[in-house]
Amino acid sequence: MAQVLDKPVELRAPVTPAERTARRKALMEWIAVHSLGVAAALFFTLPFVFVFLTSLMSDSQALSRDLIPHTWEWGNYRKVFDTPGFLTWWKNTLIYAGLGTVLTVVSSIPVAYALAKFRFRGRNLSLMLVISMMMLPPQVVIIPMYLFWAKQLDLSGTLWPLIIPMAFGDAFSIFLLRQFLMTIPNEYLDAAKVDGCGEFKTLVRVVLPMAKPGIAAVALFQFFYAWNDYFGPQIYASENPGAWTLSYGLESFKGAHHTDWNLTMAATVLVMAPVILVFFFAQKAFVEGVTLTGVKG
Amino acid sequence: MSTVTLAKKRRPPGLAAKQRKQALRTLAFMSPWLIGFAVFFAYPLISTVYFSFMHYDGFKPPTWVGTKNWTYVFKNYPYFWPAMRNTLWLVVVMVSLRVVFGLGVGLLITKIKTATGVFRTLFYLPYLAPPVAATMAFAFLLNPGTGPVNSLLEKVGIPAPGWFNDPTWSKPALTLLALWGIGDLMVIFMAALLDVPQEQYEAAELDGASAWQRFRYVTLPNISPIVMFAVVTGVIQTMQYYTQPLIAGKVASGVIQGAGTQFEPGYPEKSTLTLPQLVYNLGFQRFDYGSACVVALVLFALSMVFTAFLMRRRGGLNLAGD
Amino acid sequence: MPGTSRKTPITSRKAAVALAASASLALLTTACTGQSSSGASDDASKDVTINFWHAWSAASELSAVKSLVAGFEKAHPNVHVNVVGNMTDDKINQALRTGGGKSPDVISSFTTNNVGKFCSSGALVDLNPFFKKDGIDPETTFPKAMNEYTQFDGNRCTAPLLGDAYGLYYNKTEFKKAGITSPPKTWSEFEADAKKLTISKGDSYSQLGFMPNYHGWESTTEHLFAQFSPTYFDKSGKSALATDPAFKAGFTLQKKLVDELGGFKKLESYRSTLGDEWGDKHPFHTGQVAMQLDGEWRLGMATAANPKLDIGVAPLPVPDDQVAQYGKGYITGTITGIAANSKKQNAAWEFVKYITTDTDAVVGFSNAIHNVPSTLAALKSPKLKYDPRFKTFLDIASNQYSTTSPASINGGVYLTTIQNLGYDYESGKVKDLDSALKSTAKQIDTDIAQAK
Repeated sequence: MAQVLDKPVELRAPVTPAERTARRKALMEWIAVHSLGVAAALFFTLPFVFVFLTSLMSDSQALSRDLIPHTWEWGNYRKVFDTPGFLTWWKNTLIYAGLGTVLTVVSSIPVAYALAKFRFRGRNLSLMLVISMMMLPPQVVIIPMYLFWAKQLDLSGTLWPLIIPMAFGDAFSIFLLRQFLMTIPNEYLDAAKVDGCGEFKTLVRVVLPMAKPGIAAVALFQFFYAWNDYFGPQIYASENPGAWTLSYGLESFKGAHHTDWNLTMAATVLVMAPVILVFFFAQKAFVEGVTLTGVKG
Repeated sequence: MSTVTLAKKRRPPGLAAKQRKQALRTLAFMSPWLIGFAVFFAYPLISTVYFSFMHYDGFKPPTWVGTKNWTYVFKNYPYFWPAMRNTLWLVVVMVSLRVVFGLGVGLLITKIKTATGVFRTLFYLPYLAPPVAATMAFAFLLNPGTGPVNSLLEKVGIPAPGWFNDPTWSKPALTLLALWGIGDLMVIFMAALLDVPQEQYEAAELDGASAWQRFRYVTLPNISPIVMFAVVTGVIQTMQYYTQPLIAGKVASGVIQGAGTQFEPGYPEKSTLTLPQLVYNLGFQRFDYGSACVVALVLFALSMVFTAFLMRRRGGLNLAGD
Repeated sequence: MPGTSRKTPITSRKAAVALAASASLALLTTACTGQSSSGASDDASKDVTINFWHAWSAASELSAVKSLVAGFEKAHPNVHVNVVGNMTDDKINQALRTGGGKSPDVISSFTTNNVGKFCSSGALVDLNPFFKKDGIDPETTFPKAMNEYTQFDGNRCTAPLLGDAYGLYYNKTEFKKAGITSPPKTWSEFEADAKKLTISKGDSYSQLGFMPNYHGWESTTEHLFAQFSPTYFDKSGKSALATDPAFKAGFTLQKKLVDELGGFKKLESYRSTLGDEWGDKHPFHTGQVAMQLDGEWRLGMATAANPKLDIGVAPLPVPDDQVAQYGKGYITGTITGIAANSKKQNAAWEFVKYITTDTDAVVGFSNAIHNVPSTLAALKSPKLKYDPRFKTFLDIASNQYSTTSPASINGGVYLTTIQNLGYDYESGKVKDLDSALKSTAKQIDTDIAQAK
């Protein structure tokens, strides 16, 4: 009697054939899914790896078909930094992206709030117009805008034609913020009004603190849009190398360095790196923001 | 009776003032966008229409030429119809592949139970790469002579295509680049997939549905608004496709500007031409502002058609929502 | 009345404001698109700074420009020149149109076929009054071909700033190995030599006699066809592409070379492995290509990159039926002009006059960047330093049969159109050359009509 009870329960092997098949099936699925996952991960990361490895090759090796550098030329990065203008491009891109983001956020919030919480005639029309503006390629209005900035205001060769419009709200940011603000229950607003707050105070004191994730997402999107923008600087800043941004500068770098792929890849790494670093610190806001556009919009 | 009518006509005191105050307040809150809309959207759009009927090269004052620019662009400009065909190709192939791949990757992520965060981050990273940098990276990787991809393919014995240097492979190469940056669609689909009510899956399983049947009858119907949204925004993005094909063509052709050679749009053989590039070519290389505006209006019309379609279907836009 | 929808004041006010703003802004723009001409009214003796934009970018070229400018500033201490390099035509054209404080007063460009556009649009000022004022006769100062490409329709809006001549570079060592004793004079000889010098290796080459593909750096339709002395436009201004047999001969020759040397695909794959035009690994420097169609600057670059290379220089071959004209070649050059929007035109003219006509300045600049000098006096100057092989280019530049590509109102668009036909023909996309020539000629005419 005692021997039977003393026998430890066999947890390893499944008891019934059905369970055995089920477990095998689950294992196969796990293997299949994770193999696919690894394959996909390779697809997404190998380009970064090859770019980085090439950036460390010597001039002659970069033209060969080798995949791994023989010598690790960290000096390539020094060369890229020393390229005349490289630090200027950094500075300009930071100004464009930073200042632009601040202006966009500040100017878009009141508009988004009005579209989310006010009721007025023309609200739906305004919303539809905002969405139309969102979908508009910049090339549609570039000719008159360029003539306006360059001939009327003599601001070509600078980034101001790109930054100033951001002080008047950005359609995408307005839309995103609006969707987010609509999820804030009206009871909070009513409570604030009962306390005697006007609309503006309500916005600043009550709504904004609750809208932080939405604002963060919008700020991030706008920052990356400006950071990655190529067409804008190409049109407005190209004639003045002192106003070039990283995207435009990277292209001219390739033009100046032809088949110096090692140097070009080093420059590419330096242009990609900041964005990726910022992402690591702001992951949550980013993913939330992307979700907001897709699911609720 | 008459007293009631009279009473209706006489508004309660203070309401007019209150309404005016509300109106002003709305105006104040909306003012940044209102000004922006008038100055940066409405006015330039009217100007673009206006300039499309003028001959203007930036120096001599514009002169009226009626439909001359329109005839030129639609009948005689050798880059217009190739660009339209390329746009069609990109819409049919690139957008659909991106949606399918995005859904696939999103699905994959939801099934990965180990180190999900790591996988998700890795899959998302390429989306963050600035377009110029990403295109240059791919132009290097896919270089037919010295790039790693062709080296690997040849080692394995697969015939290596010319990628960005071959007119039949340049758009597929661009599509590969677009699939690499699938992060944004992946996240959207991921969220949508996670939103599908678990009960529906359980019910289907109880009914004996296979994995494929569960996907087809539970997953798809639930996420179809998102799929529709992804398709339409993908089409609209294709209208704006500018930087990647431009940089790919420039880098692959190896043409150094400034050596007296004119830039050849759409290398190789007009296969990477897109409408936005035409606006740049006509406006900022040939300085034919009128014809550039014609192409700009074609872009506008195409974008608006799809935008209207998106708004019709709502896709959860919550226009009336409160 | 109850029930009637009264338009809210805010909506109609909004709409009215927006409409008024748009309309007035539109009017504002149209009124202000005219060019503000400044005229040459500045005092050139006062202290002033002018902006000079040029297209050179290599380190040696930049320092050569620096010396040139320093020479000018020494002779004219009151005029300071702010130099901006690496400015391609796109950027120059944009800046010329927008004017303003940062825009250039003097520009230089490699694209001679933009002269038609510069002159007819009024982007650069006519220099004839300036030449006259200082008693300089361009006809006796500059070589004939250079006078031709610096003006359009009687308007001389540019002056030549050094020139380029195109010839044939060949690798003497590889020639000896293949048993070729002298450079080819006719295209038939060239074809035979190219084949002899081509050594295949598997799917590629270990040595190529000549890279005929149009993307091969300087082997463009523009340069190649010059050897056939084509007439681009007939007397009425229409394209002569389909009527002048020179073009058909040129296209046919190139296609023959492509087919005989291995086929388009094989050559293209090889080309993508070769070093680029301005780097040290240029295929001619490395011996990967035995013969090269290139400009006179290649000599200096090749000797610097590979001193051991045994370089031969000769004029490019001519068609078999034009043997008597052997020695001719394609001539182009850098052009310089004064921006019409410039407010310092007199000071700018002092600079332009110096860099284009001061013999010592021209000679010094030519010595530094190894370009052909652009004045008759400089061509004869004893101070001109050059490798004896360079003399070939000087001779090509002064050869009476040498040609250049004419200016046109829309700049180099017609050349791009012809080149596009070349790309299609060499790859086999276009098979019927005759009808393609006709339709391309029509395209050129339409583009020019559009630009008027």
